[in-house]
Amino acid sequence: MSIICSSCNVEIYREVKFCTRCGKQLHKSTVDKRTSSLNLIIVFYATFLLFAVVSYLLYNEYPLNLSVDIAIESVFALMVVGFSLFDYKEILKLYKIPKLNKKVLGFSIVFPLFSAVVVSLSIGYLNESLFGVNENYYSEYLYLDYPLLWAILFTAILPPIFEELGFRGFLFNSLQKVVSERITIVATAFIFALIHFSFISFIWIFPFGLILGYIRSKYNTLWYGIIIHFIHNFVVLMIDYYNFNYSFF
Amino acid sequence: MIQTQDLACTICKTSMYIEDLYCPECGYPEKGTEREVALYHARRAMQKNQNMGADKKIKSARNILYVMAGIVLVFGFFGFFEDEDVGILITNAILGVIYLLLGAWTSKKPLAALLLGLFLYLTTVIISAIFDPSTVLRGIIFKIIITVYLGVGVYSASSIKK
Repeated sequence: MSIICSSCNVEIYREVKFCTRCGKQLHKSTVDKRTSSLNLIIVFYATFLLFAVVSYLLYNEYPLNLSVDIAIESVFALMVVGFSLFDYKEILKLYKIPKLNKKVLGFSIVFPLFSAVVVSLSIGYLNESLFGVNENYYSEYLYLDYPLLWAILFTAILPPIFEELGFRGFLFNSLQKVVSERITIVATAFIFALIHFSFISFIWIFPFGLILGYIRSKYNTLWYGIIIHFIHNFVVLMIDYYNFNYSFF
Repeated sequence: MIQTQDLACTICKTSMYIEDLYCPECGYPEKGTEREVALYHARRAMQKNQNMGADKKIKSARNILYVMAGIVLVFGFFGFFEDEDVGILITNAILGVIYLLLGAWTSKKPLAALLLGLFLYLTTVIISAIFDPSTVLRGIIFKIIITVYLGVGVYSASSIKK
């Protein structure tokens, strides 16, 4: 392998940091590359925070409005896909169907069943006793004709697809360029927990994110994460549906 | 081409070929003029200075994380004893512990710890703004100062990471 110095055009036949003929520093330094990844990560998070504020204001201004719901979801999807375009080659690889691994697939189905029940019971109890609020994902869609279908779309189908792309896809890949693999898993789990905007939920979303990140890192695919995330959200929603129909009346 | 590996750079001891005018590792002008050598040393000194500055900036950012932990915990206890608000106590206790852990982590992994600290801080500002929009302007100068210190810490940590 040889490098040609950009300043004096001499050809060098080994790995060097400085041109041995004219002393010019070769290679774009790793610090510069790291800075540009870091900029992208910070812009991504700042954009997300701005989105969170705007969508909260819109929900408040137009409660129970399907077109606002759809608009907000679409903006989030566009935002995530837009950022993913910066790194689309690497991210597309994460959508390859992985070789069937029964153990991991089994885990991806059983674990979220378990986590959904535990989280639904404990967090429901905590929120009610601490803050006196009883959040029910199902009852928020009662104003529509088919509340269950809309609830499934908005809480069980869309978030897993776009949150996995955003956090285990784009953010994970960008962080890998800045810090080590292990810290990438920890940092994505941390940021994933932050965006749920509840410090009580931090206690369970952080470990949940660690598991999703670990699987993403080990098998280089988003599919297991999407399955786990979907089953978890779906079961939580079904528990809410059951609670609403059988304890409300 | 004559290649002997007996030659080593005066400064960093990397082995050099006999025809090399500059060290391939540190760029030292082995056969350069006095002026070139002086320039090399000036550049090295500047870089060292920058690294020392970065250490200081990282430390300031770490201290900010500790201060935030203190403030958050005090407010949590205050809310609990004044208004008997257990929710605030638990929320702030979790938040305070996270700040403390990130502060402690800064000495080992400054870049990750400060980046997460910055995101945590911005998120708390946004959450309180959502609950009560009037909090945005309250202490806006402090908010900007804290954000800038944490941000500078992040980029300093990035600049000296190996």
